[in-house]
Amino acid sequence: MTFEKRRASTKQEIPTASMPDIVFMLLLFFMVTTTLRKVDVLVKFKLPEAKAIEKIENKRLISYIWVGNNGKIQINDGIVKLDDVEPIMYAKRQALPNIIVSLRVDKGADMGLVTDIQQELRKAYVLRINYSTTLKI
Amino acid sequence: MIKKKKISEASIPTSSMADIAFLLLLFFLVATVIDVDTGIGLTLPEYVKDVKNVKVPKNRMAAILINANGDVLLDNKPISVTQIKDKLKNRIISKIDLPSNKKLIVSVKTDRKTKYDVYIQALDQIKQAYFEVRNEYSQQFFGSKYKELIETQQKEVQKKVPIIISLAEPESVKK
Repeated sequence: MTFEKRRASTKQEIPTASMPDIVFMLLLFFMVTTTLRKVDVLVKFKLPEAKAIEKIENKRLISYIWVGNNGKIQINDGIVKLDDVEPIMYAKRQALPNIIVSLRVDKGADMGLVTDIQQELRKAYVLRINYSTTLKI
Repeated sequence: MIKKKKISEASIPTSSMADIAFLLLLFFLVATVIDVDTGIGLTLPEYVKDVKNVKVPKNRMAAILINANGDVLLDNKPISVTQIKDKLKNRIISKIDLPSNKKLIVSVKTDRKTKYDVYIQALDQIKQAYFEVRNEYSQQFFGSKYKELIETQQKEVQKKVPIIISLAEPESVKK
């Protein structure tokens, strides 16, 4: 008795003709969503979590202030002193009147420092702020 | 006799297109930072040189004090951070029908040594309380969630349930 090997008659290939199209689609998505990072963040920080968060609708208006876990403050590209916050932010507000400041403060930072920064912001008349947080799940 | 030239079919080799596309894709995948700008929004009060103390009736205020250890006092009663929401909600609801100068003011005061995280947790609780009240109010009167209302309706809800959070002036700490 001879055994006959049974083979499926269907082809065993994955059609790859449309692969470039799919890849291009993915590519386009990522190209559109990418925002290349403009500044190097020089401080280490871990954002707190919260539930009742809002999205900032207008990205163009946002200006960031980072506060690291060692209490250092960064605006734009460099570490600044607390006294420098006011003039810098004042200049920024001159350029962009309805600026929103996003405070990216480390979880473990002292409130003293945060209130100091807020006082400086108030003096610079930058009143719209946003405590940057991630969504708590 | 003119010999007809054989026209060779012009074609671009497309077999490597996928590879090129993949390369580009990889680059963008790596370079992408999907930045989420989410957070708790707040508007600071204007800066005034000499602060005048305005007396506010006791029942209008909800004073939240947070000390350096992260203990929370709500109107001089110690509570945990996660209780803030429920306590505040009742008080906000009770003031919905009052005129705008009698709405609840939530005052948050921290120590200079309070951890930022605790402060955010407290603020989050307050915001959640307000959002829930707004949602319930919208559901009751307009039959849908606050976010799904049209603008004029949202304004109406905002007027009924305004979010008033007062950040107390930091006290100068004696060292």
